[in-house]
Amino acid sequence: MEQKEFFTSRWGLIISTLGIAIGTGNIWRFSRVVAQNGGGSFLIPWVIFLLIWSIPLIIAEFAIGKSTRLSPIGAIGKTAGKNFAWMGAFIAFVSTAIMFYYSIVTGWCIRYFVSAVSGDLFNASSHLIYWQEFSTSGFPVLYHLIAILIGGFVIYKGVVKGIEKANRFLVSSLLIILIILLLRAVTLPDAIEGIKYLFTPKLEFILDYKVWLNALTQNAWDTGAGWGLIMTYAIYMKKKEDIALNAALIGFGNNSVSLIAGITIFSTVFALSSNDAMIQISQSGPANTGLTFIYLPLLFTKMSDSILINTIFASLFFLALSFAALTSLFSMMELATRTIIDFGLSRRKSIIIVGVAGFTFGLPSALNMDFFINQDWVWGVGLILSGAFIAFAIIKYGVDKFRKDVINGFGSDIKIGKWYNLLITLLIPIQVVVLLSWWLISSTTWDPEWWNPFHTENLGTCLAQWLLVISLFVLLNKTFIKHLLKNGN
Amino acid sequence: METVLTFLFVTGIVWGGVTVFILKAIKFEKKKREEPQ
Repeated sequence: MEQKEFFTSRWGLIISTLGIAIGTGNIWRFSRVVAQNGGGSFLIPWVIFLLIWSIPLIIAEFAIGKSTRLSPIGAIGKTAGKNFAWMGAFIAFVSTAIMFYYSIVTGWCIRYFVSAVSGDLFNASSHLIYWQEFSTSGFPVLYHLIAILIGGFVIYKGVVKGIEKANRFLVSSLLIILIILLLRAVTLPDAIEGIKYLFTPKLEFILDYKVWLNALTQNAWDTGAGWGLIMTYAIYMKKKEDIALNAALIGFGNNSVSLIAGITIFSTVFALSSNDAMIQISQSGPANTGLTFIYLPLLFTKMSDSILINTIFASLFFLALSFAALTSLFSMMELATRTIIDFGLSRRKSIIIVGVAGFTFGLPSALNMDFFINQDWVWGVGLILSGAFIAFAIIKYGVDKFRKDVINGFGSDIKIGKWYNLLITLLIPIQVVVLLSWWLISSTTWDPEWWNPFHTENLGTCLAQWLLVISLFVLLNKTFIKHLLKNGN
Repeated sequence: METVLTFLFVTGIVWGGVTVFILKAIKFEKKKREEPQ
């Protein structure tokens, strides 16, 4: 299939890809994980893993997407060989399964923005009860539908008039809002205490291997590296576009936003909390919701004596969160849509299928928090496997050949050296093995029935669901190849 | 002291990195525009 639509410029591509990377994880997960892992002690490995996990995988995704012009199934099949198209199907499935519940998270953010603007949020007697009443009502379903409809509309409009146009507005607005919130936060009294905590390293934490593994996990989940999403957007980059420089810009840009969000949240919490800042900031709550949906609304009521000012800042915060969630949701919906388009359907038909499936399969997570947590656990950890499959595809193709012909090929502004070969063949596989083993082995310690596939968060449910999906895709491998080749790919 | 060093290390790499690559991208874009098509 000949590619006809492209991002209009490098900046259109970069801002859209930044939209993938910048999600709710930059704002709520980052601050919580930093707090739990010793502040500055966490930031040092977090920067190191940006360089040895995220950026190499972002480069790989850009290069595979640009060179094959296919969504993950065909792209991996073409890069690693026909027998491995099922790996691409797994990558596409993991991101799509995440889309099913991510649109619910997007809906929560939109709902809290509406609540903040209307003043409803500040009238609540208890923010914990407010959250519980909301999450167990029918509203999450309604807002899940709204998120799917917004996403569906943007993807239906296409790459330039939909994805690029929406991201240009949303990502730019998000950055402006975050800077306004940052300026307000750092000028609050005692905000410096939060910044000090954020950047003070503690030796005992630096020597703790768990801090390093959490730093790697945060990079794996937060930058969008290894999800197949950047690979999908790379289909729409012009031939003359560079790979390595753009990839580095996305990685550093994403982590810059995390730092801005971290400084904002730490400053706010330390300035406005009495003496329980660290307990509150570390609180996870269901699906990482504690800090964002329960504690921060309370803090916004203490920001100043003026209800209007408090309402403005709370609204801006939840608007930023909604924008971050929406731009990531677009990319997940585009991946699913493009995968169907590659099988010969039109964009219109494909987005209808994706929208209906997204709403339907998201319903169990919208209605049942245990189901939500289960899916978040199974496919969140599955992303590490997706990253491994991308590295495997390049190794199978020949890392040196891939580096010279594809990454450093036509359009490249900067050339990548042989260090890249070492990262892909050695360091990424080591990180995958260590990270997967750690997460899966850890899961056996928090559940005595670790083998039971019907439990919410354990080894058994992960392996059962992965095996089911992988077995199905291995069986369908020949069908994938036949249909993708039939369509002129 | 260690707080300041960590701040400089982290922001230097992350914010420094993004600034350097934005400037490089602007430079290459300008160069591409000036080159005859």
